[in-house]
Amino acid sequence: MAAAAAAASVASQAQAVLRGRLCDQAVVHSALRSSPDTNYSKLKYLVASSVSEACNNSVLLLGPRGCGKAAVRFSFLVYSSAPLSAVFSDAGVVFDEMCQWAIYDFTLWVVSAWTEVVDMVLDDLKKDHPDAISVIRLNGMLHSDDNCATKEIARQLCLEHQLSFSKMASSDDNTEFMIDMLRECGLAHKTIIFVLEEFDLFAQGKQRLLYSLLDAMQSLTSQAVVIGVSCRLDADQLLEKRVRSRFSHRKLLFVPSSVDSLQRLMEHLLALPEDSPLPTKYVREYNARITSIFNDKKFKGILSSLTDADATTSHILRFLFRVVSYMDIDSGLLSMQSFMNALSSMQRQPKMDSLQDLSILELYILVCMNRLEDKEKSSYNFITIMKEYKSVQDAYKTSDKYSHTVCFRAFEHLLDRELISFADNKGRNQALEYRPVKLLISSRELAESLKLNTTCPAVLQKLLDRERYM
Amino acid sequence: MDLSATPSRSKSGLRSSPRKPVAAPAVAQMDLSTPSKPTPRRKPKAPPVAAPMSPVTPSSVRRSSRLLETPTKVTSETPVKPTPTPKRKRAAPSPSPKTPTQSEPKRQRQRQRQRQQPKKPKKRAYYRKVVYDGGEFAAGDDVYVKRRDGAESDAEDPEAEECRVCFRAGAAVMVECDVCLGGFHLRCVRPPLRRVPEGDWACPYCEAERAGKAIERPKPPEGKRIVRTAKEKLLSSDLWAARIESLWREPDGIFWAKVRWYIIPEETAAGRQPHNLRRELYRTNDLADIEMETILRHCYVMSPKEFKDASDQGDDVFYCEYEYDIHWHNFKRLADIDDEPETKEDPGDEPYNAGNDYVSDSDEDSEYDEEEEPTKCSSARTHQSHALAANLRKGRTYGLQKIGIRKIPEHVRCHQKTNLEKAKATLLLATLPKSLPCRDKEMEEISAFVKDAICNDQCLGRCLYIHGVPGTGKTMSVLAVMRRLRSELDSGNLRPYSFIEINGLKLASPENIYKVIYEQLSGHRVGWKKALHYLTEHFSGGTKIGKQANQPIILLIDELDLLLTRNQSVLYNILDWPTRPNSNLVVIGIANTMDLPEKLLPRISSRMGIQRLCFGPYNYRQLQEIITSRLKGIDAFEDQAIEFASRKVAAMSGDARRALEICRRAAEFADYRVKQSGHTSVNRGKNVVCMGDIEAAIQEVFQAPHIQVMKNCPKFGKIILVAMVHELYRSGLGEVMFDKLAATVLSWCHVNRELLPGYDTLLKICCKLGEGKIILCEEGTKHKLQKLQLNYPSDDVTFALKESPDIPWLSKYL
Repeated sequence: MAAAAAAASVASQAQAVLRGRLCDQAVVHSALRSSPDTNYSKLKYLVASSVSEACNNSVLLLGPRGCGKAAVRFSFLVYSSAPLSAVFSDAGVVFDEMCQWAIYDFTLWVVSAWTEVVDMVLDDLKKDHPDAISVIRLNGMLHSDDNCATKEIARQLCLEHQLSFSKMASSDDNTEFMIDMLRECGLAHKTIIFVLEEFDLFAQGKQRLLYSLLDAMQSLTSQAVVIGVSCRLDADQLLEKRVRSRFSHRKLLFVPSSVDSLQRLMEHLLALPEDSPLPTKYVREYNARITSIFNDKKFKGILSSLTDADATTSHILRFLFRVVSYMDIDSGLLSMQSFMNALSSMQRQPKMDSLQDLSILELYILVCMNRLEDKEKSSYNFITIMKEYKSVQDAYKTSDKYSHTVCFRAFEHLLDRELISFADNKGRNQALEYRPVKLLISSRELAESLKLNTTCPAVLQKLLDRERYM
Repeated sequence: MDLSATPSRSKSGLRSSPRKPVAAPAVAQMDLSTPSKPTPRRKPKAPPVAAPMSPVTPSSVRRSSRLLETPTKVTSETPVKPTPTPKRKRAAPSPSPKTPTQSEPKRQRQRQRQRQQPKKPKKRAYYRKVVYDGGEFAAGDDVYVKRRDGAESDAEDPEAEECRVCFRAGAAVMVECDVCLGGFHLRCVRPPLRRVPEGDWACPYCEAERAGKAIERPKPPEGKRIVRTAKEKLLSSDLWAARIESLWREPDGIFWAKVRWYIIPEETAAGRQPHNLRRELYRTNDLADIEMETILRHCYVMSPKEFKDASDQGDDVFYCEYEYDIHWHNFKRLADIDDEPETKEDPGDEPYNAGNDYVSDSDEDSEYDEEEEPTKCSSARTHQSHALAANLRKGRTYGLQKIGIRKIPEHVRCHQKTNLEKAKATLLLATLPKSLPCRDKEMEEISAFVKDAICNDQCLGRCLYIHGVPGTGKTMSVLAVMRRLRSELDSGNLRPYSFIEINGLKLASPENIYKVIYEQLSGHRVGWKKALHYLTEHFSGGTKIGKQANQPIILLIDELDLLLTRNQSVLYNILDWPTRPNSNLVVIGIANTMDLPEKLLPRISSRMGIQRLCFGPYNYRQLQEIITSRLKGIDAFEDQAIEFASRKVAAMSGDARRALEICRRAAEFADYRVKQSGHTSVNRGKNVVCMGDIEAAIQEVFQAPHIQVMKNCPKFGKIILVAMVHELYRSGLGEVMFDKLAATVLSWCHVNRELLPGYDTLLKICCKLGEGKIILCEEGTKHKLQKLQLNYPSDDVTFALKESPDIPWLSKYL
C-alpha cells in the first residue's frame, strides 16, 4: 500500500515535470536557438541589428496559427488539475470546431496569447541589452480602432517609462506623444518594438495607425521595429498603397514542421531529464519505455494520423499534454494505450457525439428533415416537418408518436444544439414554427450515428436507407 | 619640419602660436582638411596621470601646484564686488596677471555696433554679440568658465603645453598621445619620431601601461610646476565649460550671460565609462546666469561630425554627442537638427515664432524685451515638479526628460562599421540623402511656383496640386525646396514667410485641419469650429492671427485626398481661402491619385486651379542613380546587383522606397551570411552584395508565400485543395458547398485506401485554410452549408501540389 502510494506520488511528480516542460516555451523551442536557418535566428538577427545599428525596420510574420508564431494554448488552462483539465479540454475541442473566433476571444482573456518566437527573441534581446528595449504589444482584436490603439500605445509607453498617463488625452495628443516618445527614445538609444498581433485587423479602414507608425519611422532620430503577426498570408496586400510603400517588406513565413522534426520534438519533450528530482532508477526505466514506444510501428501510425489533420506545433503539444494526462498512475510509465487514448480524444467528432445522445424523437425529426431535403424541398419549416413526421407515423404505425407540443420541444432542443438552424436571418419576429430551417449535418453523418445508436428503432434506419437507395 | 604637411592632429599648430585669433567663432575655425576619425578607445586599466579618474582626487602634484599660487590673489578675485579681471592673456612671456586697475580702462565694454546704446536703461538689454575684454562672445559660443569658489588661479593660462618628457614648451612640433592626451616633442619620444604619425598614436608610457608593465613617467625637474592648459583643468574639473545662450546687460551696467553647462564624464552619475572619448563632454540641461567676467575664453565643443573634420584645431576642442539630464542622470543623443535649444526646451513658443529671429537678424543688436527668455526657463523649472500626465499636452513637453539611458551603450561606440553595415545605414529610408537626384526639373518647378507666389508683393493666392504614385519623392522634393528657400531667406534674398506642413492621414478627422493650422499660426488651441471662424476672418482680411500677420503662408497638405468629407466642405474652405484678396496663402496639395480634382465638385476643382505637377514613377536609370548616389564611397554592392534591383522595381512600381528597401534587405542577407560564416573569411568577393542576395530580397518582397504554405499543408489539407480544384472544373462555379467537398474527399480517400477523416476534422482544416486566406470560407458554424472558394488561381494549387511525395495518388485528380 505504501509502495503503491510512493509510486503514485512519483508518477504525479513526473507528470508535473513533464507538464512543466510542455508549457515552457524555452524547452519547446530549444532546438530553434541552435540552428542558424530558423525563423527564430533570422528574426533575432533582424531585431538585434536594428537595436545595435539604430535603424528602423518592419517585418511581417506570416503563417497558420499554431506554428510557433502565435500560440493559442489550452495547455495553460489544463495545467492546474486533472478533473478541471477534462472539462476544459473537452470544452476546448468542442468550441474549437464550433467557432474559431469565439475560442480565440475566450483564450485571449484567460491566457494571454503571446507570440512564441517573438517572445523568445525579445526575451533574449532584453537579456542582451537591458534597458534599451521597450515592447509595445497591440492586438488587432482589441485595438483595431485607431483612437483606441494610440491610447493603448501611450498607456504602455507611460507604463514602461514610469510616466503618468491620463485617460483624458485626446487621440491627437496621444499620437503626438507617441511621435515625441519615438524621437526621445531614439535619441537615448532605446528601441521601441511594436508587436502587432492579428496584423490584418489593423489594415481596416484608413490605416491611420499604421501610416503614422511607419511614417514616424522614416525619420533618423527614431529607432523602432514594427513586428506584425498575422495568419493571413495576404496581409501585406491589404495595406494601402502609401502605407505599403513605407513598409519595409520583410516577411518571415512560418510553416508546419516536417514529421521527422515533430517526432524529434516529441522525443525531446517527453524524455525526463537526468537531473530531475525524481529517482534515477525510475527515470531510466521511464526513458527506456519511451524510446521503445517511439520505435514502435504503431506509434508511427498514430503520429501520421495526427499530423495528417494538423501538423502544427501547438497541435502536437496539446496531444502530448493529453498523453501525459493519460499516464498510468500506478506504474508511472507511459504506454501505447495512453497515446491511443490521447489520439482518440484529439480526434473527437463533436457533431457525431452530440448525435449520439439525441432522443428517439429528435432523431425522427432529423430523419424527416433529411427526407424533405432529399425531396428537393428547398425551404421548409417546423410545420412541414410535422407533416412529414405524421406521414411517416401513418405509414409505419410506430409507437413513437408524440404530440405536437412535445415535438416542438424537441425541435427547439435541436436548434439549441445547432444541429439544425434557421435558413436565414429574416423574419425574426415570426413564430418559430413558421421560420424556414435547414439541416446542418450531412446524411452520411446521420446514417453513421443511427448505426452506432443501439436504442435506435430499425424503422428509422430503414427510412433513411430506403430513401437513399430509392 | 613642415607643419602644414602633417596630416594627423599635431599639437604645435595653434597652441604654440601666440597670436591666436581670439574672437573667431567656432565655425569659422573649422578647417576641412583630412578627416581623422575619432576612434573610440578603451580606457587603459590604470588611469592615466593626465586625467585623474574623479574630480575628488586630483593628483597631488596638482594640489601642491595650486597651493604654490599666491593666496592673496584668490581673495582679491572672489567676486565680492565684481571687479573685472583679464580673462584672456595674450601669451605674455611673464605669467604675472594684470592687476585690476590695469584692466579697468579696458573694461569699457565695446559693443560691436556703437549705434545701439541701450535706450531703456531700466530694462535689461539683450545682445547677440558682446566684445568683452578683447574677446568677442556671441550667443551659441562655447567658453571656459572660472569656478567661482576657485582655489584655482586663472593667472596661468598657457597657450602652449609643455612636453611631458622635457617639460619645456618649445616651438618644436609636438604630438598628442591619444590615450592620456599628453603632449610630447617628436624628438623627446623614445624612439624619436620623424614626423607626426598617421592615425592613432599612444605614447610609450601609455603603451606600456596598456601592456601591463609598470613604467615610471618622467618627473618634472625640481622646483618647476607643471603648468596646465585650460583643457587639462577642465578635464580635471578645475574649470567649467559652458555654452552661452544669451547675453544681456543689467540696468546697473554689468554684463551677464545665461549659460548652459557642459559636464565632464567623471561628474556624471555613471562616471567615466570605458568607451568615453578623452575629450568628451556632455551638454547638460542645467542653465545658470553668470557674470560675463567669469568667462575665461573660447573653447570649441563640437558635434561628432565637426569633431571628425577638425584635425588641427589646437587644444580647446571637445567632443559632445550627448546631453546629460542632471535631474534624472541619464543621457540622450543630441539631435542633429537641434540648432536652437530654445525651441526644444520650451515648445511654448512655436517653431514658427522662430521667424522672430529672422526679423532680428536683419538689424543685429536689436533689443529683446524683458519678458522673453528668463521667464521661459523658470516656468520650465516649475512645471517639472507638477505631476502632469505625460501624454497630455503640458506633460508631454516636460515629462519626457525622464527618457534617457543610464549609460551610453558600448556597442554604439566600440564598433567599427563594416562596409555592409555602412551601406545598410545609408540605404535606410530615414537617411536624408545629401542631394535628391532625378527630380531637378520638378523641384525647379516647385521652387519657381513658391517664389512666384511669395515674391509678388501682392501674393496672389495660389494653389498647386502634386500627384504621383507613392515613393516618387513628392513630399521630399517639396521639403527640399522649402529648405533651400529657407536658406535663401536666411541670406536675405526672400521675403519672410511661414510654412505649415500638415499630413491628412495624421489628422484624427478632416475638420481637425483648421485646428492644426490655427494652432501653428497662433500657438493657441481652440475647437475646430472656432478655428475655422478665425481662419476665415484672417484670410478674408479681417483680424489677423499671430505676430507675423502679413507674412505669406505656405500650406503644404500631404495626402490631400484624406480631407474629402461627404459635402467636401473642408477642401472647399481650404481651397477657397487663396482666392480671397489679401489672403497671402499658398496651398500645395499632395496626393496619389491623378484625377483627384476631377472627382471633386466642380466648384472645388475650379478653385484648385489648373496648376498641376506630376511625379512619374522612376525608371530604372533613375533608380540606379538614386541608389548609387547613396552608396557613394562605400564598396558594398556589385554594379549589376544594383542594376538588377532597379530594373526589377522599375518594372513593378518605380517606387524608390521599395528599391532602397530591397537593396537594404539584400545587404542584410549578405551581412547575415558573412556573420554566420564567421569573421575569419577575409575573402573580399564574399563580403559584397551579389546578385544572389538581390534575388533573395526580391523573392521575399514580391513573391506571395501561398505556394510555400500549400506545399507544407497537412495531408488532408492538400486533398481538400485538390478537391476544390476538381470541383471547380467539374461545376464551373467558383463556390462549392462543404457537403459536396467532403463527399468528394471521402470518396477519394476510400478509393485510395487512406484513413477516412471525420467530417468535423475536415471542417476544422477548412477553417484553418480559410484563416490563412488560402481559401475563402464562411464561418464554421454553418457546417455542411459552408461555402468555400479558392482565393488563389487554381493553377497555383496545381503547381504547388503536382508532386507531393506523401500522397502520390493526388496528381491524377489534377
